[in-house]
Amino acid sequence: MISPNISVLDGSLYFTISLLFVFASFIGYFIFLFTGSKTISKISFVILIIGFIIQTAAFVIRWIYAYKIGIDTPPLVDLYDSMVFFAFVIEIGYIILRIFYDFDALGFIITFIASSALAFAAFYPLATSAIEPTIPALQSYWLLYHIMTLFVAYGAFAASFGLGILYLIKNKKDRSDKKQENRFLSLLPESDVIEESIYKVISVGLVFLTAGIVIGAAWADSAWGGYWSWDPKETWSLITWIAYILFIHARFTKGWGGKKMAWIAVIGFAVVIFCYLGVDLIIPGLHSYATPGSTPIL
Amino acid sequence: MLSKLNKFISSVKLAVFLFITIAVIAMIGTFINQGDSVKQYKEIFSPTTYHILYWLGFLNIYDSWYFIALALLLMINLIAASVNLFPRTIKAVFGPYPSFQEVSEKKNNKAIYETIETKKKPEEIKEIIGKKFGALLEEKISESKNETELYYSKNSIFRFSPYIAHISAIIIIIGVLLNFKYGFRSYTNIKVGEKTNVTYLLKNNKPIKLPFTIRLDRYRTTYYPDGIPKAYISTLSIIQEHIRILTKNIEVNHPLTYKGITIYQASYGHYKPNKYGILIVNLQHINSFKKIIYAPVGKFYNSKINNIKFMLTRVVRKGKMSYFPYIIKLNNNKILNFKIIPVKNHRFPLIIARYKNIGFIMTPQLKTYYYSGVEISKNTYVSIVWIGCIILVFSLFFSFFFNHEETWVSFTDINGGKKTKIEIISIPKKKFNSFYKKFNQKINELKKYLN
Repeated sequence: MISPNISVLDGSLYFTISLLFVFASFIGYFIFLFTGSKTISKISFVILIIGFIIQTAAFVIRWIYAYKIGIDTPPLVDLYDSMVFFAFVIEIGYIILRIFYDFDALGFIITFIASSALAFAAFYPLATSAIEPTIPALQSYWLLYHIMTLFVAYGAFAASFGLGILYLIKNKKDRSDKKQENRFLSLLPESDVIEESIYKVISVGLVFLTAGIVIGAAWADSAWGGYWSWDPKETWSLITWIAYILFIHARFTKGWGGKKMAWIAVIGFAVVIFCYLGVDLIIPGLHSYATPGSTPIL
Repeated sequence: MLSKLNKFISSVKLAVFLFITIAVIAMIGTFINQGDSVKQYKEIFSPTTYHILYWLGFLNIYDSWYFIALALLLMINLIAASVNLFPRTIKAVFGPYPSFQEVSEKKNNKAIYETIETKKKPEEIKEIIGKKFGALLEEKISESKNETELYYSKNSIFRFSPYIAHISAIIIIIGVLLNFKYGFRSYTNIKVGEKTNVTYLLKNNKPIKLPFTIRLDRYRTTYYPDGIPKAYISTLSIIQEHIRILTKNIEVNHPLTYKGITIYQASYGHYKPNKYGILIVNLQHINSFKKIIYAPVGKFYNSKINNIKFMLTRVVRKGKMSYFPYIIKLNNNKILNFKIIPVKNHRFPLIIARYKNIGFIMTPQLKTYYYSGVEISKNTYVSIVWIGCIILVFSLFFSFFFNHEETWVSFTDINGGKKTKIEIISIPKKKFNSFYKKFNQKINELKKYLN
C-alpha cells in the first residue's frame, strides 16, 4: 500500500504509533473503571500525553513535509487529516478539562473516541494518508481558520457527549439502588459538577461553531458566489447550531437541567457526527472530502 | 386578548417551534436536490412524486415563501421576547434593587444564605466584603433597628449580552432578507474571445441584463507536476459603452468585483474539441507546398497531396502514459506512428510522421475552444450580515461565560451593640455548582478574618 519510507516522511507512521498509545491509554482507563486505582488512571493519563506529543510532532512533520513538496495549505483537507486532527483536538480538550476538574472517568470515553478516529483514519480504505495537492477551491488563507474553529467546536461537543453519558450513568444508578453504590459510580464526579461542565463545554463549542460558520460564510463570499449556498454541509451546520441554541435556551428560560440536558448533549453530538461525516459520505456537496474516485470540485 | 397574543408571540415555545420547523425543513432540503430543472427531476422521481414534491414546495425550499415567512416570524418572536424581558433586566442592572427583606422572604431555588456573628464593627467589615462580592451599589441604614443593608452586584452589565445576541440575530436576518430581495446570484458561460451582458439566475434560469459587458480574453488551467489542476484562470475584461474599463484574471477564491457585482470563476469546459496544429509538407517540393491544418482528434482531413486523407487518433497503451499518445490513420487504413526527436537547446521535441512523400509535423500550436463558466452575484447588504455575525460571536461569549451575581448583606447589632450579626444572601443568574463552591470559600475566608 504505502511504502514505509513515505509514511516516515509525511508523518503518518507517527500517527499510527500515537494510535497505539491512545489505545493503550483507553485500555488503562477501562481497567481504571473496574479497579478504581488512581495509579492506573494517572498512568493512562501519562500514556495519553505521550500519544498526544507524538501526534503533535507528527502533525508538525506532516505540515513541513507538505510545505516541502510545494503545497502551501496546511494538511487538514482530506478525510485522513481531518480524522487525525479531530482526535488531536479532543485530546487537547480532555487534557485541559483534566487539569481543571477531577475527570478521570471521562478519559474512558474520550480515549475511545480519539482512538476510534485515529483507527478510522489509519484503516478506512477511503482515508489515505498520501498528501495530495490542494484543489483550487481550498487554496485560501480562510481554510486554516475555518477548520481550526470548527474542530475546536467538534471537540467540545464530543466532550459534552462524554459528559452527558457520564451524567446519565451516574443518575440512572442513583435512582434505582442507593445501597449498591458500586466503585465505578464513586469514581464519577458529582452530578452538579458534571452538569455545569456539560453547559460550559457546550458553550465553548457553540461560540466556536458560530465563529467557524461565520468564517466559512466569509470564505464562501470570496469563493463560491455568495456567503450561503445551502450546501448540505452548511445546512447541517445550521441544524447543529440550532440544536445547541435550543439547549442553551432550554437551560435558561425553561430551567431544564439534569437528565434532559444530558440527553440533549448526547443527541446533539449525533447531529454533529452526521454533520461532520454523514453529510460527506452520504450527500455529495461542495464540502465533500477529497477521497479517491470522487469527482473533483473546481 | 392583546396580552395573550403578546404572550404567545414572545414565548419561548414559539421560538422552539420555529427553530425546530426551520431545522426540519432545512434537513429535507439536503436530501432532495434543490433548484434542478424539471427534466432532471423527472429522471429521479415518478410524475406523481414530482407533483407532490412540487406542490409542497420541496424542490426550492430555501427560496420558498414559507421559509422566508418562518425567518420573519422568528425575527418578530426575538424582538417581542427581548422587548418584554427588557424592563426586568434594566431593573436588575440599574435598580431600584429589592431590599434584603424582600429577597429573604421570596423563595428562590438559586439563592444561598449564610450568617456570621462577629465582634467587629460594620465599617471595618464593609470593605473586605466589597472585595469579595463585587461593586457596592446601594447602602441603606435604618437607625431604628440598628440595621445596615448593603447591595453588591458583580458582572451586572453582562445581563445585556443576551439582548445584544438577540439583536445581532435580528440584524443578520434583516441583512439576509435585504440581500435576498435586492441581490441576485446567477451564472453564465462565455466562450474565449466572446462577450456577453446576459446572465441567468441560479434559482429559475431567468435571464437578466448586466449594466456592463464581460469579455473573456483567455482561459487556462495550470497543473501541478503530477497533473492535478492547480488553478483555473480566466482573463476577463469589463466593457462599458464600447470602452474597456479593466482587465483582470479571476480564479477560484479570487473573484472580481465591479460596481457591486462580483464575478466568480465557477467552471470551464470545451464547446468544441481541441484542435492540433499539423504542418503538412510535400517532401518532393519542400519549398512550395506547406500548410498547417488544425485538426481535432477523430476527423478526416484532406492533405491535398495525392488525395490522401488523414485522421489524428488517440491511442492508449496499457499501463504506460505516453508522451505523445497519438497516431495518424490514413484513408487507405495505413497507420503512421510518430517519431519523437529531441531538439538541442529547445523545450519541445520535434514530432514527425511520414507517408511516402507526405511529412506530418506536429507543431506546438494548439487551438482550444474553451468556455468559462462564471457565477455573477450581486451581494448587497452583506456588510449588515457581517456586522451582525461579529456582534453575535462576541455577545454569545459574554452571555455564556459571565454570570451576574447579586449579593445582599445585612448587619444587625445584637447583644446591645456588642456583636454584629451578618446575613448574606447571594443569587446568581446562572445556577452553577462552581458559584456555590466559591461562595462557601468566600464565607470561610470571611469567618477566618472576622474571628
